[in-house]
Amino acid sequence: MAQTTGTMAATPVNRGMNRRDFLKVSGAGLAGVALLGVAGCGGGGGGSEGGSGEFIFSFGPDTSGSLQEVVKRFNKENKGKYTAKYREMPADTGQYFDKVRTQFQAGGGDIDLIGGDVIWPAQFAANGWILDLSDKFTEEDRADFLPGPVESNTYEDKVYGVPWFTDAGMLYYRKDLLDKNGIKEAPKTWDELKDAAKQVTEAEGTKYGFVFQGSQYEGGVVNGLEYINSYGGQVLDENDASKVVIDSPESSEGLSIAASMIEEGVSPQAVTNFTETESQTTFLNGDAVFCRNWPYMYALAADPDESKIKQEQIGVAPLPAGSAESVSGLGGWNFYINAASDPETQDAAYEFVKFCTSPEIQKFRALNGSFLPTLKSLYEDKEILDAVPVIALAGDALANTQPRPVSPAYSDMSLKMAEQFNAAFKGDVSPDEAVKTLQGELQDIADQAS
Amino acid sequence: MASATASGSGSKGNFNMVLFYVFLIGFVLVSLFPLLWVFKMSIVTRSDLFQSPVTTLVAPPIADSYNTIFANPDFRRALLNSTIIAGITTIICLFFGAIAAYAIARLRFRLKSVVMTTILAISFFPAVAIIAPLFLLFSKVGLINTYWSVIITDVVFALPLTIWILVSFFKELPKDLEEAARVDGATTIQAFRKVIVPLAAPGVFTTAILTFIFAWNEFLFAATFLFDASTQPVTVAIPNFATVYTVDYGAQAAASVVVTIPLVILVLIFQRRIVSGLTAGAVKG
Amino acid sequence: MTTAPREKKRGGWLKEEFGNPERRTAYYMVLPALLIIMIVAVYPVLNSIWLSLHAATITATGEFVGFENYVEMFGNDDFISGLKNTVIFTVVSVFFEFIIGLGIALAINRAFRGRGLVRAAVLVPWAFPTVISAAMWRLMFQDQIGVINYVANGIGLISEPILSDATLLLIGSILVDVWKTTPFMALLLLAGLQTIPGEVYEAARVDGANVLQRFFLITMPLLKSTILVAVLFRTMDSYRVFDLFWVMSNRQLESLSTFVYQGVRISQLQFAQGNAAAVFIFVTAFLLALFFIYGLGMQTSTED
Repeated sequence: MAQTTGTMAATPVNRGMNRRDFLKVSGAGLAGVALLGVAGCGGGGGGSEGGSGEFIFSFGPDTSGSLQEVVKRFNKENKGKYTAKYREMPADTGQYFDKVRTQFQAGGGDIDLIGGDVIWPAQFAANGWILDLSDKFTEEDRADFLPGPVESNTYEDKVYGVPWFTDAGMLYYRKDLLDKNGIKEAPKTWDELKDAAKQVTEAEGTKYGFVFQGSQYEGGVVNGLEYINSYGGQVLDENDASKVVIDSPESSEGLSIAASMIEEGVSPQAVTNFTETESQTTFLNGDAVFCRNWPYMYALAADPDESKIKQEQIGVAPLPAGSAESVSGLGGWNFYINAASDPETQDAAYEFVKFCTSPEIQKFRALNGSFLPTLKSLYEDKEILDAVPVIALAGDALANTQPRPVSPAYSDMSLKMAEQFNAAFKGDVSPDEAVKTLQGELQDIADQAS
Repeated sequence: MASATASGSGSKGNFNMVLFYVFLIGFVLVSLFPLLWVFKMSIVTRSDLFQSPVTTLVAPPIADSYNTIFANPDFRRALLNSTIIAGITTIICLFFGAIAAYAIARLRFRLKSVVMTTILAISFFPAVAIIAPLFLLFSKVGLINTYWSVIITDVVFALPLTIWILVSFFKELPKDLEEAARVDGATTIQAFRKVIVPLAAPGVFTTAILTFIFAWNEFLFAATFLFDASTQPVTVAIPNFATVYTVDYGAQAAASVVVTIPLVILVLIFQRRIVSGLTAGAVKG
Repeated sequence: MTTAPREKKRGGWLKEEFGNPERRTAYYMVLPALLIIMIVAVYPVLNSIWLSLHAATITATGEFVGFENYVEMFGNDDFISGLKNTVIFTVVSVFFEFIIGLGIALAINRAFRGRGLVRAAVLVPWAFPTVISAAMWRLMFQDQIGVINYVANGIGLISEPILSDATLLLIGSILVDVWKTTPFMALLLLAGLQTIPGEVYEAARVDGANVLQRFFLITMPLLKSTILVAVLFRTMDSYRVFDLFWVMSNRQLESLSTFVYQGVRISQLQFAQGNAAAVFIFVTAFLLALFFIYGLGMQTSTED
């Protein structure tokens, strides 16, 4: 923001006044002057130290410990040349976004490299906050990566990020219960899922048939879009991103099938306030036959503190299809480089990006933390597939991923979609009304954004 | 009202006493219930935590969650950070607040209403709206990621409350004592220190505790202005017992219990001061 | 707001004010507090006001548009529902906090066994960090494992999950706020009660005043300024409610502050409206405070 400089000049004047007047009051006033003095004398200011090859890299807490290990290894290998400093950010993605945005708004902040969510780049790029990496991350490089994550980094034909690790929605099911009831394989369509869920819950007395993330938040948007996409509905026109096309019979059908889950008792009413945590604990406590969740849940089933069911009881499959193909919402994290950092630091940061996305390091993180690689080749790596079965299982889901709409005003769109999807799940509005309302609201947003 | 019942005599008095304690116990239970529930959450396994339907304690308690949080050096550091931030905020607030409040309550000057309203006005502004400009301001003067960035904002937002409460206390104090002191040749400052401050002790301590807790619980500024574990307080550290997918409710519950207990002890120690009572003070003083 | 005492350079009364040593001391005494507040807060506040009058985006101030942002804001359903929720929340929660808080303060304003423990216990809810307690309450309201949802469902109080229903969520938030901040109210009022000398009651008792008379004729008038301060600050706080709604309802429940937050901290497009809403909160709260101060006779400057 430009209109900031004026007040800064006023500060020392006030401080001077304060000092003189204050001393007359009492000697103890010194403490106060000292306090205000600090405010003025700090000097320096944020911003990364240029030239030293040192850069700050931000990401949320890593409970697996593998990220710290990677940073250590990078710093050792590049001793004297580059130093990566890992700054831990909030675990909550929304808060992390808010924090990064505040720093950008204030002129860039001191973070040079951001490990950020796949939905961030358009907004950052539109404001000129992150670096266009098209030249560094060449078309040739990109060919080795999964197409979905690369697409999520592409805004107005330029590439703003490098895919780090990925994520895709998957269907978890109780293999044991399905087997017992003569269901040979995971349901291929939502209707099949409904039937299977009804049959099993009736026979086994399992509490719920199917749980997913229906709360009014970003995860609810991912779930809603999966339903819509699996019936062939789209939010933005494939050829013209400024055109909203969500108002279609296909979209409406997608939301209908979701709402019918709750209406017919396949999913509990409470699923409309479920996030990942609730879905996960319900499923792992043995209270649901089916669950839509991300790959991370598979590893938790091996820990008896987390799970009352065993890993062998669980099967994983791509999400069911509607009248069109099965589609998985794309999650995951990319690397973005701060456009305000100086070029030398940016180069140093990019070295770290190359390091982290190299086959060796991606493999290391897959084996130590089950992070899904973004390099195609690693999905054929025998060692990974044996040690981390979920990566083999996720392969199919990853083939059908679809990123959320890429728009600089995605946050605005997301808020509206979260609201309408949630209302449709609850049955407060009909799926038809929901997509009609969204058509108007999203088109408005798209128009304003362009 | 209740103060009348205490001195009642005979069986009616006893009956009232019983009623009083029943009321008291019920009330304490309601206050504490959520804390007890959170405590329960902190001593069960994660899958038991999500046991449905709700159960009271079933399995033997486990200390896993407490081990998790205390094994984390960032959390221990955060406890220290919180203490420093809240402590300094309280001291600064009380110091400037008491001086200003005394002037407003006791001295005569024209712009009193303007001063009072100006001080109050800041507590009308939604904190979420001023974060970005403040971030910019603090970055420019190099205060970002230091205790001071949060202490200063906490002081600014706690000062109005401090001043207004103290003004209302100072006003209620009998003027004659202070005038007597002045007749004895004390200056304004001396009168303030020797007479007003001791008399206003309940108010001052109450204000101190409220300010301390306010700063202890502040989240938004700390989450924005502080970058790493060396400065972040507990309110920022606790939500980070989580991953992007799930929240470690057990650890968060344990951490909340750990964070709340020092405050309870603090209040237990100072509660006598809170209620030392004007009468006692006046007679002795 | 910006009319600091020093700005008025001339005028006979000013000479008089600063000529008088007592008055001069008074100004010196309020100045430090005033300065701390002004230095930090004035710029951000003015900045918001300025931005709210422009077609501002996150990165640029944009052209001057007058009150257009305000007009748009009032046409925004999210803002209206935020306003409605905030007003209901503020009125209901402050009312209950005051009534219950006063009851508690009166009850524990005396000597009894275990009062130290009771006073400490009372403060526990207030001492519990809001960001955490909101998340914990969310779990207690939750459908599968929430103890409150379970009990309320068991006795037939509710028919659908609390967290899925906007009205129940609002009621829940009020409940949590009353639980959390009643201690604040009680403690303030208790400290106020402590400043009422016991002799006043004795005298009244000798004169034959009964409990109710003593309450309304002595306690209430002497407690008035404390009550007004406590209620005013609680009102201001509730009116700006943010983290409780944000965390406990998982962003479903709108308040004025959540609207501001979405505008200035998340959205790419509603930045200007977010600032307008912040100014709206500021101005309406200011009017509310003036009502407290002048309408209800809250004293700021008496002995003149």
